[in-house]
Amino acid sequence: MRKTDNIRGRLYRWFTSLRTSVYLFALLTVFYIVGTIFPQGVDTESYRQAGGRFIGAVELLGLLDIFHTPLFYLVAILLLVNLTVCTWERFQGVRRRAWRESPDVERTYSFALSCQETEEVLEEFMKKNRFRPVSRDEATITVEKGIYYRYLTLLYHAGIVVCFVGFFLTGFFVKEGLLVLKPGEPVAIESRMMPEIRGWLAKEGPPPFSIQLDEFRTEYILSRKLNYPEDGLSRLAMALGWQDITYTDEERYYPKDWFSSLRILDGGTTAVEKTIQVNDPLRYRGYTFYQVGFEERLKLKMDDKVFTVTTNKKKKIDELDRTIIFTGFRRGTLFRPDGTVEELHPFVTIKELTEDGKKRPVGRLHLGESIEIGGKSLYFEGFEETSILSYRYDPGVWLLWYAGFSVFGLMALRCLGRWYMLRFRIEKKEGRTLLTVRIHSRGLMADAQRVSGLLSAHLERFTG
Amino acid sequence: MSVEEVLSRGAHLLTVEVRLLWLVGTLYMVASVVSLSGLLTGEKAGYRAPHALVGLTLVLHTGVILLRIFETGRAPFQTLYESLSWFSFTSTITYLFVARRWHRVALPCFFVTLIASCAIFYALLGRSPEAKPLSPPLQSWWFEWHVVVAFSSYAVFVVSSAFEATYLIARRLMRNRDHALGLTVEELRPFRGMATKLVIFGFPMLTFGIFSGAAWANEAWGRYWGWDPKETWSLITWTVFAMYLHAQSVPRWRDNVASTLNLLGFLCMIMTFLGVNWLSKLLGIPSLHVYAV
Ligand code: HEM
Repeated sequence: MRKTDNIRGRLYRWFTSLRTSVYLFALLTVFYIVGTIFPQGVDTESYRQAGGRFIGAVELLGLLDIFHTPLFYLVAILLLVNLTVCTWERFQGVRRRAWRESPDVERTYSFALSCQETEEVLEEFMKKNRFRPVSRDEATITVEKGIYYRYLTLLYHAGIVVCFVGFFLTGFFVKEGLLVLKPGEPVAIESRMMPEIRGWLAKEGPPPFSIQLDEFRTEYILSRKLNYPEDGLSRLAMALGWQDITYTDEERYYPKDWFSSLRILDGGTTAVEKTIQVNDPLRYRGYTFYQVGFEERLKLKMDDKVFTVTTNKKKKIDELDRTIIFTGFRRGTLFRPDGTVEELHPFVTIKELTEDGKKRPVGRLHLGESIEIGGKSLYFEGFEETSILSYRYDPGVWLLWYAGFSVFGLMALRCLGRWYMLRFRIEKKEGRTLLTVRIHSRGLMADAQRVSGLLSAHLERFTG
Repeated sequence: MSVEEVLSRGAHLLTVEVRLLWLVGTLYMVASVVSLSGLLTGEKAGYRAPHALVGLTLVLHTGVILLRIFETGRAPFQTLYESLSWFSFTSTITYLFVARRWHRVALPCFFVTLIASCAIFYALLGRSPEAKPLSPPLQSWWFEWHVVVAFSSYAVFVVSSAFEATYLIARRLMRNRDHALGLTVEELRPFRGMATKLVIFGFPMLTFGIFSGAAWANEAWGRYWGWDPKETWSLITWTVFAMYLHAQSVPRWRDNVASTLNLLGFLCMIMTFLGVNWLSKLLGIPSLHVYAV
């Protein structure tokens, strides 16, 4: 460490200190906790309307977007500088193997052998237990086994610096947005995208290809509502044999998966075709397209008047004096618990909002059929489904993965592996040879006592 | 089999499973009480009995977990009900493994079994045991790996904090005598070293847990980090344990500061796991988080 006491020297020392890292970690933790208390990414007005408190502090400190405030960036950058300087500083020392720490085991043996013979006995021990020589001078021999732990510590700390670079690359150059696709209608990336695009690279212009949805498909698994008591006491009673768990008659449709069959149109021809689902996106020219959701709009008719509704939203129908909710539109393939599979005839479940705000079930309405509500007939004429994709162009992500998983691997090797260093000192004293061994070890698999035992067993013939 | 038959068989298995889990939770609680009473009496049986009971309960708990795997046909940690059971299972297994060397010290057994039984009773009283099919985002290669590794690190941290807390209490009791809680003065340091070793073991696992979670989010939603409360709390836990490991290398902080950080890390872990928005509720702040639990 440099000993200069001017400002530069002191600053350098501050940045190489482990205590600085702990303080910076603590400061970051404060930001993180604030970020979990205040909702992030919402505007102040919505926050105020939802009954938000501490409005003054929220506005002043940017608490609703704390991870994009200059103060947060400042602390993160200070940690990055700390990490980089610290890694660099220790990189210089690591080759010298400055060795100040006290050993895990220290023992002295006394022999009637000469120094030369003692060295030969040690040589034999090293060969047998696969230690390799590190250094040797007149009085000391240093050997080791395993990867020197400081190399690993250093490498994964450097890996964390690379991860930071990956984060910054993402932050500056990412292009992302949402696409709403209707079957058969190609969409150019630039036209329908959501306005949330960051980074100046986005200004380079849209990519020269478009994307088209050929088909959207859903699959469901059928189950029933479980008859399980809500309150703790009944649950306890159930455990004691009061009643068994059963299934009710109320059907439950759990989504199995959503599929979008997509095609990329590039230069007038189809470049790629793929059916994507959640967890299996489509990649093309650095862009990745993800299945994030879907939207359904239903076409209904009452008293010869046609109207459209979006599922899961409340709808006040003029012809009726009540509010209706169209929930759970189902079409596609249904997998039953008995292993049978069925193609569903599209239907929507209708509920009515009662005066006390509760939802009262009305019934199921199938496509091409009618249902009676409030003395009137509601007819289900048709539907339209759109698939919602998100897309992302992220030049930082590959760096992050390589660096991140290397960090994990190296850290695991450092923490879980084993490393030993044995330092032997041979001296002549009162006609006998004295051998002092200092055993240093690191890693959870390392056992300095065991190595000491092996050495003692090896030397047993000559001591005494 | 017809749909009715399949469902009624499922309901029957679920009934058996839930009743067995009540038994497991109760046995952990009994082990916890027994280890505490053993501490007070100082008898040899005081540490033998709870460890034997934990071992026995673990056999039963293994059966419950296998039954769940049989019922659902997948890894048993999708819902919070399942995760809580898995969490207490891995914590007690880790404890028994570590306790081989420190079996004369019963206090960590008290802490671990108390946490294990609380987790199970919370699962039984507060959550539904319904075995739902895997939702589309969970149908991923990452699901099993991410959850298994992250939960294993949690288990390791639970045991570490139990050791750390025992160390702190024993150290205090030893102010005017040379042994306490089954430990001698000479054993105090290596006993505390066990807590550190456990964090060193758990930290790379938590690192993998966070990275694999990010990789999975990237594959499923197209973003690897969204600062939602769950993600952020896992980062807080990770940061606190990183502070702990670094504090070990600062001589003045090696003792009390590091111990405090270890216990703090445990609290953060519980926040990640269960209550990501308790603090918002406490301060009366509306939670408009998209992924809030
Ligand atoms: C940003 C995240 C960081 C993580 C995840 C991290 C992780 C770790 C871990 C797990 C250890 C203990 C195991 C080992 O010795 O290899 C460690 C040790 C160490 N860290 Fe970090 N670290 C980080 C940042 C930093 C920073 C900013 C510094 C700069 C001062 C630093 C300096 C050190 C040093 C010098 C050691 C070795 C201590 C010793 O010799 O015992 N680390 N780090």
